[in-house]
Amino acid sequence: MNARFEKRLLVVWLILSAITLVYLWVGSVDPARTLRPSAVVTSSAIVLALIKVRVIFREFMETRHAPVLLRRLTDGWVLLIAVCLLGSYFVGMAVR
Amino acid sequence: MTDPVAKEPMAENREKSAEFVPGQPDMWAFVMFEALVFASYFVVYMIFRTRSPELYLQSQARLDLRIGVVETLVLLMSSWSMARCVKASRAGAFRSALTNALFTVLFGVVFLVAKVFEWARVIRMGFGLSTNEFFSHYFFLTGIHFLHLLIGFIVLGVVVYQLWSPGRRSQELIETGATYWHTVDFLWVLIFALLYVVR
Amino acid sequence: MSTAATGTVTAVEPPAGSPLHRIGWHWRHNPKRELWLAWWTIVAFYQLYVLVFFVLTRTQPPPSPGWDAARVVQWFNHNHDGVLIGFAIIFLITGMTAPPNALIAYSMRRMSVSRVFAYTYLVLYSLSAIPGMLLMCIVLTVGAMRPDRNANLISWLYDFAFLSFEGTMGVFLIGSLVWMVAILIDKNRVFPKWFGYLNLCNALTEVVVSPAWIFKRGVFAWNGLIAWWIDMVVFAVYTGVFIVLLRKMIQREDFGTGPLPDAARPLDLDLSEWAETAR
Repeated sequence: MNARFEKRLLVVWLILSAITLVYLWVGSVDPARTLRPSAVVTSSAIVLALIKVRVIFREFMETRHAPVLLRRLTDGWVLLIAVCLLGSYFVGMAVR
Repeated sequence: MTDPVAKEPMAENREKSAEFVPGQPDMWAFVMFEALVFASYFVVYMIFRTRSPELYLQSQARLDLRIGVVETLVLLMSSWSMARCVKASRAGAFRSALTNALFTVLFGVVFLVAKVFEWARVIRMGFGLSTNEFFSHYFFLTGIHFLHLLIGFIVLGVVVYQLWSPGRRSQELIETGATYWHTVDFLWVLIFALLYVVR
Repeated sequence: MSTAATGTVTAVEPPAGSPLHRIGWHWRHNPKRELWLAWWTIVAFYQLYVLVFFVLTRTQPPPSPGWDAARVVQWFNHNHDGVLIGFAIIFLITGMTAPPNALIAYSMRRMSVSRVFAYTYLVLYSLSAIPGMLLMCIVLTVGAMRPDRNANLISWLYDFAFLSFEGTMGVFLIGSLVWMVAILIDKNRVFPKWFGYLNLCNALTEVVVSPAWIFKRGVFAWNGLIAWWIDMVVFAVYTGVFIVLLRKMIQREDFGTGPLPDAARPLDLDLSEWAETAR
């Protein structure tokens, strides 16, 4: 297998794993604040997840090489999820 | 765009030049549709979460973030080996591709075992599907994802079967299977963030 | 593209004239008339289904499982006439569920796969009409028939009806999987592969309904956001898609055993053969 592709996949995987480990820090806040909703934690959790999803789309699922339509559809879905999740969180917290 | 590219000698150069759809476009249609359905489940979860934040926070605290992180890392590794499998097979290195496919199965099994242990732990603590809203969503989302994982093993079985004998090895089927498996991975990435971290 | 309705059979000219005359000609001569009859039955059935369940009886979207007996009796009283009339219609037209199943089984016979698929599907879906539709109709009719019955009994009938209707999705689940496998291994290209995968989506959403047996409130109850509303969207898309695909299949049908011709090349069909059959 082409070493260049191997290396690229390795780097991608390392980045994805690193972002995952960041969750250990994001997700465990100090005990005093554990049981309070936090917009910062929520937003960063969702955004980090969507970054990972987009990387998976582009690198593992190879949409980087795909026709424009597929690239747009997958990017569009990522955007849609971002809007829906962040939107429902912030609207939900405000309306309460 | 729908041409099966089985045993194409210059397959490696495919990536450098033209655009291509990995695997059957049909599988991509399925992935997008399922992704939309899951999106609706996530939105329902988020909306209900904002309605009773204290309940959700207290229940969520009973989950172990570290288990979730380990599970996510394992699935990411499985996606990595699956991607390597596709590239190896495209380059004609079928032995390497088969090894990577088998590693993918292995990582999938590790995730499965971890999930079952996690469920057992949560259930022993006294929480079930109908305990409260949070745990309903927890068991539902992880459960439906688990079902997709099980289907993923059948898909991986097809991929391994293809790679095993020189008479088969349809690049299109292998890529199609990979597309499905990566979906199992990215859906988990979101489920993990929503259940274990979002506050 | 509607060969049946407008008649593009070049070897034998369908007579020009009034629509009634043309329909009469097709009825006597078109070799696909049974297929079209079955297809139109599907369309007619689903229209009536929507009318009966959504409008007349108001059983879709389903009322809440969280109601107490008194509230349930109120629902029965409110929908008394609608339930009786609506379900009487269903009892009359139940036979219309047969042609859709037959047409789908036919589609599997046209595939390169074993006939076992078609027969399995036919048996499964024929049986599933009982818990999946008829039981609710019968039970709710019984409930509506004597409004002065004990409230607890009426409440029991209510649970029985809706649980059997919403909760027995499993019978449809296996049918979807049978069709899916047939489509994916078929070499005659009767259906596109993405429709095979859509069957999987449909099967999975049927699994999603199963928590309805446990929850009386919330998104997983039989009228919940997830167990009913999102499920219905998927089911509606699935149904609409297979009705369109069955239509395409009939248009493409060449009564052979090899790959089904693409719709894009209708002139490939040897229409003079049909003329012979027609005579």
